Amino acid sequence: MTNQDKRLSRRHFVGATGAATLAGLAGCSGGNGGDGSDGGDGDGSDGGDGGSDNTLEVLHAWTGGDGARAAEALVAAFEEEYPDVDHEFNPIGGGGNQNLDAVVANRLQNGDPPSSFANWPGPNLQRYEGVLGEVGGVWESEGFEDVMVDEAVDLHQYNGAYRAVPLGSHRLNCLFYNTSVVEEAGVDPDSLTSVSALIDALETVQSETDAIPMTHGASGTWTTTQLFASTMLGQEGYDAYMSFLDGSPDEAAVRATFESLAEILGNYINEDASSIGLTESNQNIIEGNAAFIHQGNWAAGAYRNAEDFNYDEDWGFKTYPGSEGMYMLHFDSFLYPSDNPSPEATEQFMAFAGSEAAQVAFNQYKGSIPTRTDVDMSQFGPYLQETQEDFASADQRPPNLQHGLGVPSETMTSLNDVISSEFSGPYDVDAATQGFVDAVSN
Amino acid sequence: MTRNTDTGDDSGDAVTDGGVAEDGQRSGFSPVAALNERFGSDFVESSQFWLPPFLLVGLFVYGAIIWNLLISLTDFTGFGTPDYSDLDLQMYSRALADSGFVDAAINTFILLVGFTLVTLALGLGLAILIDRNIRFENTFRTIYLLPMSLSFVVTAQFWAWMFNFNNGVINIVITSLGLGRVDWIGNPDIVLWAVMFALMWQFAGYAMVVFLAGLRAIPNEHYEAAKVDGASTVRMYWRVIIPQLKGSTISASVVLMVFALKAFDFLYSLVGGYRPPNGADILATKMVREAYANLNWAYASAVAITLFVMTLGIVGPYLYYQYNRGNL
Repeated sequence: MTNQDKRLSRRHFVGATGAATLAGLAGCSGGNGGDGSDGGDGDGSDGGDGGSDNTLEVLHAWTGGDGARAAEALVAAFEEEYPDVDHEFNPIGGGGNQNLDAVVANRLQNGDPPSSFANWPGPNLQRYEGVLGEVGGVWESEGFEDVMVDEAVDLHQYNGAYRAVPLGSHRLNCLFYNTSVVEEAGVDPDSLTSVSALIDALETVQSETDAIPMTHGASGTWTTTQLFASTMLGQEGYDAYMSFLDGSPDEAAVRATFESLAEILGNYINEDASSIGLTESNQNIIEGNAAFIHQGNWAAGAYRNAEDFNYDEDWGFKTYPGSEGMYMLHFDSFLYPSDNPSPEATEQFMAFAGSEAAQVAFNQYKGSIPTRTDVDMSQFGPYLQETQEDFASADQRPPNLQHGLGVPSETMTSLNDVISSEFSGPYDVDAATQGFVDAVSN
Repeated sequence: MTRNTDTGDDSGDAVTDGGVAEDGQRSGFSPVAALNERFGSDFVESSQFWLPPFLLVGLFVYGAIIWNLLISLTDFTGFGTPDYSDLDLQMYSRALADSGFVDAAINTFILLVGFTLVTLALGLGLAILIDRNIRFENTFRTIYLLPMSLSFVVTAQFWAWMFNFNNGVINIVITSLGLGRVDWIGNPDIVLWAVMFALMWQFAGYAMVVFLAGLRAIPNEHYEAAKVDGASTVRMYWRVIIPQLKGSTISASVVLMVFALKAFDFLYSLVGGYRPPNGADILATKMVREAYANLNWAYASAVAITLFVMTLGIVGPYLYYQYNRGNL
């Protein structure tokens, strides 16, 4: 008997294994090969039948330092405003936004979109062609068109409809400096109103002090690409920069920009530039090893977190020479995928993201500023208050090159390929000029 | 097939034990008998053991490869579904015309050959030294093997610091010897060799262990006979011992080559992104960039297939060799 029991149980076991295998196969083919590689529980929607599952799932890349703290503040503010909405905020860090982009691309491709994800608007929306829904209703009901700057209104539309809502804005044409180093060199940063004046100042720093004139972290190419954008804007002016973005570049202007860049990068940056990234590079400013750095104003977040390193006393800000009166624009926005798993909750979240409560909560920690012009800035530090004033009163707000607003992502990749192969030392002005002109012209 | 003898006994028992229904079924279905006759006596009965994994592997590995090949023949970009009606080799001709792809392919090949050869030589040298009945043998073996147990994420960060221009250990050593500093990561002519060196450091221990096992399998009589015949140590190893390590060499080199193709992890961690330093781009990083930065799925698939063919070119001959020796 026991023997037969054993046989039976073994046979049952085999049968069960077979059934489980079949079920597994069926499940997989049903999910269209969606392998849930994101590690999120997108597949949960298979178990509970679609309609009832309306947890708001938001993906973003703010995993460390300022970003994580800002994201926490955003979530807390959202819970206060919408206590009834089930939500899940999933940070996906690594490689800047690269890992987030890869996860989002996989999920959109597999028909398993999140409720919303953080990304850049503008031409960057082009890569999500066909998978973004419309949030025009939110823009209308919340009156965003009246309170956001005009550029935000334009850049959040694609194919004639609103696809996203802005949360905050960083500024790109920034030059930060260590006050004591520039004083030791006898340079007055406020007098630097042209790229050539900047180069003279770098020369002065080099001859008068032991410090690095301009620190640069070039282990990734993006820092050089964004330096190109600011230098072109400062040296060749708004119109030349805009026509470069629009696909009709003036070759002479591109070449002149690269010549200036080659002079700066070839003579005045740290020798270990190619083996360090932004964080280490920025550390040179904090420790007084370097005079200047060009970065987006997220760099200032590190200064705020450094001990005994205060705005105007220890570090200072100057608009990138030549681009005075301009605010090179960056947006952090939330995009709205079509086929949304939680349309109602997502629209509530979108309305929230553009609200004063969200923008104040998030931006004061992130080191960025609200995209609304009607926000009370009293909770922000003096540096961000000044940035907000510049933002509101800027003559022009040109879109950035490296962070999605100026060119589509494929063009951006080509530009970075050119920087990588032609302009990461030795600096080949001819090849880089040709590469950039070809990349944007198309 | 050899593994199936056990189950064959079991199923035989089951029939005599009173599996009446099964018995009846069996005589009723001639295809079962035909299959058993063609593939061995217990082909059908044992299928419940090998069929599920066979199907799963078939679907998820080989099915995915074929699907990937199909996608590489389309023009699929962006989101949506690929159009399978118009298949051509356009993505492959585009790859050949893309200097970035050609550079990446050349770098992949250099990494593959250079890394494998030097790592094998290093591993063999270490194994012979350790096999000389030295003191603290186990300690040395552990020391050499340890780097392999570390994650690429750790070793890449570690080497990024080692290679730092200003305060990296390597440049400090070089300058203390009176030589000039070298820009290991930033110089496109050097960076690939620097990466190769770091990978060699990590995997020489693995090659050592494989060779050590090979050396231990050689009977002591061979050493003694060589000595009796008056061979010097060098000559003994060169003529008697090393020729017997063919099997170890082949299996170690296959594994090393596959590691070389997967250097993606190392490069990704080195710079924290999909774009390695200029001069060190390989097909794996190029593929991920095309797929996820540009959503050029078809083009990325073509790069993937190229990489797959390269891998197959390495593993295929090895499998054939093992098959000929009756090991498969």
